Amino acid sequence: MRILIVEDDADTNQFIARGLAELGHQVVTSSDGRDGLFHATDGGFDAMVVDRMLPGLDGLALVKALRAAGNTTPVLMLTAVSGIADRVEGLEGGADDYLVKPFAFTELAARLHALGRRPSAAAEPARLTAGDIVLDLHRRTVIRAGRKIALQPREFTLLAELMRNPGRIMTRTMLLERVWDFDFDPKTNIVETHLSRLRSKLNAGFESDPIETVRGAGYLIRDGA
Amino acid sequence: MKRWWRGTFGLVAAVALGFALATLVIGVVVFESTHEALELQLDHRIAIETQALIDEGQDGHEGVAAAIRRREAASSTASLGYRLVDAANAPIAGALDATVPSQPGYVELLPYKADGEERIAQSLTTDLPGGYRLLVAADRAAIDEMDKRFILLFLGAFGAMLLLGIAAAWLVGLVTRRRLARIDQTATAIIAGDLSRRVLLTGSGDEFDGVATTLNRMLDRIVGLMENLRQVSSDVAHDLRTPLTRLQNRLDEALRERNPELQREAIEAAASEASELLEVFSALLRIAEVEGLAARAHFQTVDLSAVVTDVAEVFRPALEGSGLQLVTSIAPDLTVSGDRRLLQQMLTNLLDNAAQHTPAGTTVCITLESTRDVTSLAVTDDGPGVSEKQAPELFNRFARGDCSRSTPGHGLGLAMVAAIVSAHSGKATIAPRPGFGVHISL
Repeated sequence: MRILIVEDDADTNQFIARGLAELGHQVVTSSDGRDGLFHATDGGFDAMVVDRMLPGLDGLALVKALRAAGNTTPVLMLTAVSGIADRVEGLEGGADDYLVKPFAFTELAARLHALGRRPSAAAEPARLTAGDIVLDLHRRTVIRAGRKIALQPREFTLLAELMRNPGRIMTRTMLLERVWDFDFDPKTNIVETHLSRLRSKLNAGFESDPIETVRGAGYLIRDGA
Repeated sequence: MKRWWRGTFGLVAAVALGFALATLVIGVVVFESTHEALELQLDHRIAIETQALIDEGQDGHEGVAAAIRRREAASSTASLGYRLVDAANAPIAGALDATVPSQPGYVELLPYKADGEERIAQSLTTDLPGGYRLLVAADRAAIDEMDKRFILLFLGAFGAMLLLGIAAAWLVGLVTRRRLARIDQTATAIIAGDLSRRVLLTGSGDEFDGVATTLNRMLDRIVGLMENLRQVSSDVAHDLRTPLTRLQNRLDEALRERNPELQREAIEAAASEASELLEVFSALLRIAEVEGLAARAHFQTVDLSAVVTDVAEVFRPALEGSGLQLVTSIAPDLTVSGDRRLLQQMLTNLLDNAAQHTPAGTTVCITLESTRDVTSLAVTDDGPGVSEKQAPELFNRFARGDCSRSTPGHGLGLAMVAAIVSAHSGKATIAPRPGFGVHISL
């Protein structure tokens, strides 16, 4: 992916840029809001990482200007404060996702990957497929290799979220936000508990487990399992 | 710029001066009308006397002259004087030594002589038939005497009033300055660093005591907040020292280690220590943010029943997985004004606590009910609980119960709960043994 990073803190900027470059992405960096907006309007980016606080033009204004100009490049916004109100403001301002500093690089990478290929809500297909699993979002049914699998609503949402991003890591916090709507991390391992229930229902009578646990990062559903 | 008239002395003096001026105006008016009334009375007397003389001397000036003589002979002329003259101004009768005015009517200030003394009288001249003129006059000494007395009395009273006013102004100014000086002294002492000083009360319950009480309460609050701040920062420093030391040890270990495999392990351990530290900082910042009430700006009506039901169901598998039982009693359709995510986190923290600090076989109860305008939420368990002494302290940052020392955690969960509850203008209490329970009323 071609990714633009707009971040004024040189260390953070370099940290993100190096990490993304290592993953094989093409990275353009900028340390100033106006400069960042200039690059962004130039176009050709698959995703952007924008800091909330920037010299010249703050991150929120940058995204607003970008959206006003009709640019729909996915934006992941970074913020130094937990910003209970900031978060809402950022998402309403046109950012697609929000990440609070400090963050683990794997978290940033996972979120960027999920953003880069996220289809818009209208364009989302009614059926998601991953390997031998077919999930129907309208009828809310799951069929694995022709066999119908009954899931609890939360387990269904969890599986759907994984299947929207086949082959890509979904971190714990991403799942907490998207499936449970929690913007904090409970001590109790509710993600693990629900995943193990989902796994046991999904794998009953099958040899292979389509859900992979990536240690220290998250979970992914294998694309061609 | 010092404006003396804005001080208490100036204000009271100005009021006293105003009163004095008003009194002066009243005095002048009273003097004028009294004076006028006395003159009228005198005129009236003269007129009656004149009429009486004319009535007595029905047969013309002879009769009038006889009446005058009769009166003078009876020495009943203590205050009235008479003079009857003919057309040529020659005196006919009457001992009054004055020139009779040529025109009839009243003359207010008529000079005359008595006992060789120049005096002033009020008089009425009346034309009688045959060109005779009758002058009846009354001495003004009585009126003048009255005027003099009035003025003297008034000036005396006025002067006394002015003096009293100035004295009162000085006294009030003095008292006010004294009372304010006490408050000022206290404030100065506090500025100098003695935070324990409070404004002394006189116990009279007056306005000064009222202000002093309010100031003292304000000082108590500030001291409380400062104490809290000091406590928090020293707690933070203290509680972060341990993980920071561990981090340093791990890094030292990594530097010394030759075996790349073990070195990597040490670095990984250090990284996880660092991320745990960051987690603590995030939690602290979040608590501070919630305590700062910035959240209130976007409060909305939240279906608390739905939130509680949802979170309970999210936790049920995990709790049951660790051998706990979850019992819920949730009244439907209860709403509060708040932040849904914060309320979720509040309940989550409480359930996290229950999951971490109770042994298998414990029953956890979630009760949501409403009585009139109070919505109460309780998360209780029949686990080991905490002592009565510890219970209230658990809402403080880094506070941990005896039983939880060995379990993972930072002692910030309940501090966050307390912050969220107070951001929602609610109240939270911890019920000690038996079991453990947090009761929240919103």
